[in-house]
Amino acid sequence: MVFTAEAPNFRPILIFYLVFFIIYMLKEKIASIKKEALEAIQSVETEEALNELKVKYLGRKSEFGNLMRELKNVSPEERAEVGQLANDAKREIESAVTEAEQKIKASSFDFEAERIDVTIPAPKLKRGHLHPLTKIQNEIEDIFTSMGFEIADGPEVELEKYNFDALNIPKDHPARDMQDTFWLKSESEKAQDRILMRTHTSPVQVRYMLSHKPPFRIIAPGRIFRNEATDANHEHTFHQFEALVVGDDISVANFKFIAQEFFSRFFGREITVRLRPSFFPFTEPSFEFDISCTVCGGSGCKSCKHTGWLEIGGAGMVNQNVFVAAGYPRNRYQGFAWGFGLERLAMMKYKIDDIRLFHGGDLRFINQF
Amino acid sequence: MKYSYNWLKELSGAKMSAEKAVEEITMHGFEVEEVEHVGLEMPGLVVGEILEIEKHPNADKLQVVRVDVGPSLPASLPNGERGKGNILQIVCGAHNISVGDKVPVATVGTKLPGDFEIKEAEIRGVKSFGMLCAEDELGLGKDHSGILLLDKSAKVGTPAGELLGEKDTILDIKVLPDRAHDAVSHVGMAREIAALGGTETDYDYDNLILPKKKAKNLGVKIEKAELCERYIAVAMKNIQVTSSPQWLKNRLENCGIRSINNVVDVTNYVMLELGQPLHAFDLAKVSGMQFPISNDQFPNKSQISNSKKQTEIIVRNAKKGEKITILDGSVKELSSEDIVIANEKEALALAGVMGGSVSGVSDSTTQIILEAATFHPTSIRRTRTRHNLPTDAALRFEKGLDPNLAEKAAVRAIELLEHIAGAQVRGIVDEYTKKKKPWTIKLDLSYTNKLLGENIPEKTSKQILEALGFGVKASKKEFIVNVPTFRLDALTQEDLIEEIGRIYGYDKIKAIAPHARVQAAPVNEKRMFARKLKGVMATQGFSEVYNYSFYGQKEANLIGMGSVKHLELETPLSPELALVRVSLVPNMLKNVKENLKNFKDIKIFELGREFWIDQDLLPEEKMMLVGAIVADQKGKKGQINKREESPFFAAKAAVDDLMAQLGITDHYYDTFNGSPLDTPRSVWHESRSAEIKIEGIEKAVGYLGEINPFMLANVDIHTRVAMFELDMEALRSISSEQSEFEPLRKFPVVSRDIAMVVDGQVRVDDILKIMQSAGGNLVLDVDLFDIYDFADGTSSYAFHILIGADDRTLTSGEIDGVMEKITQELEKKEDLQIRK
Repeated sequence: MVFTAEAPNFRPILIFYLVFFIIYMLKEKIASIKKEALEAIQSVETEEALNELKVKYLGRKSEFGNLMRELKNVSPEERAEVGQLANDAKREIESAVTEAEQKIKASSFDFEAERIDVTIPAPKLKRGHLHPLTKIQNEIEDIFTSMGFEIADGPEVELEKYNFDALNIPKDHPARDMQDTFWLKSESEKAQDRILMRTHTSPVQVRYMLSHKPPFRIIAPGRIFRNEATDANHEHTFHQFEALVVGDDISVANFKFIAQEFFSRFFGREITVRLRPSFFPFTEPSFEFDISCTVCGGSGCKSCKHTGWLEIGGAGMVNQNVFVAAGYPRNRYQGFAWGFGLERLAMMKYKIDDIRLFHGGDLRFINQF
Repeated sequence: MKYSYNWLKELSGAKMSAEKAVEEITMHGFEVEEVEHVGLEMPGLVVGEILEIEKHPNADKLQVVRVDVGPSLPASLPNGERGKGNILQIVCGAHNISVGDKVPVATVGTKLPGDFEIKEAEIRGVKSFGMLCAEDELGLGKDHSGILLLDKSAKVGTPAGELLGEKDTILDIKVLPDRAHDAVSHVGMAREIAALGGTETDYDYDNLILPKKKAKNLGVKIEKAELCERYIAVAMKNIQVTSSPQWLKNRLENCGIRSINNVVDVTNYVMLELGQPLHAFDLAKVSGMQFPISNDQFPNKSQISNSKKQTEIIVRNAKKGEKITILDGSVKELSSEDIVIANEKEALALAGVMGGSVSGVSDSTTQIILEAATFHPTSIRRTRTRHNLPTDAALRFEKGLDPNLAEKAAVRAIELLEHIAGAQVRGIVDEYTKKKKPWTIKLDLSYTNKLLGENIPEKTSKQILEALGFGVKASKKEFIVNVPTFRLDALTQEDLIEEIGRIYGYDKIKAIAPHARVQAAPVNEKRMFARKLKGVMATQGFSEVYNYSFYGQKEANLIGMGSVKHLELETPLSPELALVRVSLVPNMLKNVKENLKNFKDIKIFELGREFWIDQDLLPEEKMMLVGAIVADQKGKKGQINKREESPFFAAKAAVDDLMAQLGITDHYYDTFNGSPLDTPRSVWHESRSAEIKIEGIEKAVGYLGEINPFMLANVDIHTRVAMFELDMEALRSISSEQSEFEPLRKFPVVSRDIAMVVDGQVRVDDILKIMQSAGGNLVLDVDLFDIYDFADGTSSYAFHILIGADDRTLTSGEIDGVMEKITQELEKKEDLQIRK
């Protein structure tokens, strides 16, 4: 074909069409390579064959590689468009390769042969168990310490004077009969030197007061002993928990508050406290205190024998004679003391019906906690 | 004590129901332990007399009875069938009846407790028109052993309910020692109920005044004033001892006291009413106390002349070794601290505790001396415990009584004896030197409200105190309270505040948060540490046991601790609980033995106190952590031949891990050398036990080992048991140092192995020391990974040795150098051969 000078100048138009054509061709090519590659990958069965395909379609000398080189000839805008297309195709092929790889690997592994019965019980992990009383005591201590109480401690073998006399229970006082005592044989002949297994944790309070000045808030948890035959409800060895708060104006109303606060947190529900008159030599006034039933909330059920209340322990405003015995001036301070049995609380919380289990050492019992 | 609510109502003028009274008493006064309903009101239940008993024709166990029920029979019953006239035919299963017995008969239409209505019935072909009742069927008790037999004097046809007692509610109320002197009586309890119900007591307490009728021939001598604050003796004549009237019997029995005769019953009745124990002596039976003139005898001359002689009742301490036969028939040898009532010749009663058998009242008694006295509480208490005689009287006297109460009781008893036994007062002696008078207490009202945390109006406080019998004079911000002598317990302001608080109602006091400084609680380090120990043990798989702090001599002997000095209980509950423990081991072995019945693997621990006698009065209380391990030996019957399978190593692993968790890095195990004071050598297996020590500290912090197989056999355990004991305080003092972070290694660490054959005497620890010192600080760690014991007593050990440096990567030449040096040093030992 000969172009004359007179002939209209088609060149730009031709170039335009040519470029258009090249781009069209490139797009077609990308599509066909993609199609071919995906088909090939789909039917591949071995790892080697797949590797070959990888080289063929994705390697440096692959058709894609050539294609990319041809892109140099087109304008930047069009290059971007075709480039994008090529990259997408490449990514598609790559993911098909990964899929195929996994399929080949999977087919080389027999999962069915590995099948397990998921209902077979797993071997038991052998963990240790804390004693239920330890758990209860920890819980109680945590609640009280969060309210600013200090934990006090004292000996389990006590002097008569700390267990009784300093608590306003003089010798030959009928109140001594309220606590059957394990007296210890002593080589000393002197009567004031008598020693005993402490019958309550109150001597801890005495010892604390002898060395501290109010105001203070303490709790005294610990093991105590009573000379009492055992049955499902009675033990000669058990654990008590006492709290003592002393200050300038501590009152019965404050006791009610602290007790309600404690029991509500311990049982995780709103608890109200009921006080009934009682007598303890070391407090005046003295109370028995009940809490609203932790099962029915007070409406009456089997656990509370349909009264709505559970008997928990004793409490009272510290007798001024006790302060005097501790070296404080009479009527200078006010305070309350209260105590309850850990076993009773644990029995309520875990519905345990025999107190002897606590000191029986039977792992069938302990391992439930 | 058991209280009759009818009686309380009478005295208190209360209008409330028994149920309401129980609630009020519970919330404002005392614990009501039991409520019991007695007596019957049951129309249709009549007294019947048994006329005939025949065997039931068709049932071996049943009888056909014909009973006369008198004219009371409801007319509606068909005459012919039920029997003739007033006679009923009843089929009955009980066999305790015989002809002539009087029995309660529930006629047709009667409703028995439980809403059980009696109907005409036909039982195995025989018609029955009612029921003969047993105690339980009437709701009177639990006795179902047979038909309730009534008194033979009961009138046929009368309602049987009346005979079975007045309808009443019996309250068993627990009164604590502070109120024993007044509230353990109907008058005292009535005062409470009146105060709670806002009524006035109907009892003229203040006007019970002893008549002034001097006894001419009777004297009372109190040898020591402190023995007896007051002694009233009333001589009475013309007594007729009989059984008491029904109302008196009923009241006593409802309150749990057996009726004896009218005289004794009156003393008991007055005690229930006022709380004062009384005693009656038979004059005639007491030699030397005989009154000159007896009502039954014509006074002859010699008696008149005799009448000038004074008869004296002596209150004195017993002579040491003096003997007395008391009412229960036992002979008591007395102590010089006991108080007796005596005549010139001998002791007649153990004062305030129990009368003597010689001087007791009997059916033939015609004259008595009535005693109303106030004895020294502590003496009575000691006598009561010494002779183990917890009588009602003793338990009251020992709590202290108001001496003015003795007078009230004497007056009441005289009155009743005059009415019931026809007695006449001959004369009265009242020995009462130091008269007890009311006292006053100043009560600060602002303190009252401050202690209770509630604003109780002055008026309310005044009303409460007055209702309880206190006299109140109000002045500015305070009361002058006059305390009646029957309230011996009210001595301080706080005692009065308690009265106001409880009657006002503790439930009305609102809960208020205390004013307290916001302050973190001081930490109890010991408790924190104890908790940490327990936590570590539990994560290691140990379960926690709590054991008694006691065991017996036998248990101590069995594990070779019999000769260790123990604290001993004065009165143990049983021989197995006689000694206070100096070791946790015996009781833990018991745990092991018991648990072996259910488990093959056992890992338990206890954190508890040992009590060691020392120079001080109180023992040293040592907090010990003790663990015990039994590993399942898979049927090998305890035959573990391989050393490394010994539970010793399981225990050692536990100790190692514990130490690591406590941040203790320098503990080691040493040959057992323990002083017998800490742990008896005999407990442990001779060649499988060690001391647990800390670098630089002489004294062991604990012991570890298998338990001596002989000891185990003694306690019937037939498997290997390893235990460890650690002194908690010793551990705590060491672990308090903080452990520091160790930087991660930047340069490679190489592991090389070395194996050797050693003689049985060589300790692994020695080998480790050699390797460490030979390798210097390039040896980071050595790890024993294989042991093989040969038959000839030698063993093969193989170790991994970790080699590395802090500042560079070691060349293989350097590493070889280290290994060579180690080998050389080890080869110097004669009893060791390196395997190549």
